[in-house]
Amino acid sequence: MRRQVTITKKKIDEQRCTEERELDTRSGAVVCFLGIVRGTEGDERIKSLEYEAFEKMAYHQFNLILDQVQTQWPVRSVRLIHRIGIVEAGQPSLWIEVTAPHRKEAFEASEWLIDEMKRKVPIWKKPILK
Amino acid sequence: MSQTISIQVLFHSYCREITGIDSTVMEIEDGLTIKELTELIMKTYPVLSPMKRSMLTAVGLDYLPKDYRLKDGDEVSFFPPVQGG
Repeated sequence: MRRQVTITKKKIDEQRCTEERELDTRSGAVVCFLGIVRGTEGDERIKSLEYEAFEKMAYHQFNLILDQVQTQWPVRSVRLIHRIGIVEAGQPSLWIEVTAPHRKEAFEASEWLIDEMKRKVPIWKKPILK
Repeated sequence: MSQTISIQVLFHSYCREITGIDSTVMEIEDGLTIKELTELIMKTYPVLSPMKRSMLTAVGLDYLPKDYRLKDGDEVSFFPPVQGG
């Protein structure tokens, strides 16, 4: 399984991500997920979120999660970008792409990966209110 | 007399903000567990006490069981629940 994990202060460039996609003839499904910063949280209006990571551990935990993805589904590749620093409301903070032979495993692996990330990867966010 | 070991304690995110410290070296009793170190940290930094139940710990880059016995040179991180995405 090919894997690429990036934690960055740079904006997520979806077009570039798509252009750099490498497909092979065994990949029948590509699932992309984009996590966007919401402009509201409860009653509060949010200007942006400030993300912080314990980067060394975050990369390590992402790789442990991807090791498990590899053992549970016949996934061909995972590419993942997580923003740190200030991300304005309406902008993406997370981009994930999973390719697999069939859509079922691509959807399942994507969802599981995101759930695991939210449990284990040391990234935090702080709202900056309007 | 029991021996002591030296560990580095790191505070991340909200734990760093409320203690005002990002890292400190501690001399602790040899054989102390993560659970026992957490109790010690709560006494040393009472401002963290409200987070006792939710706070996460890691040794190096891994989550380890609370009964893990710390070794000389270990780097122990304390941080609030993670919130990626």
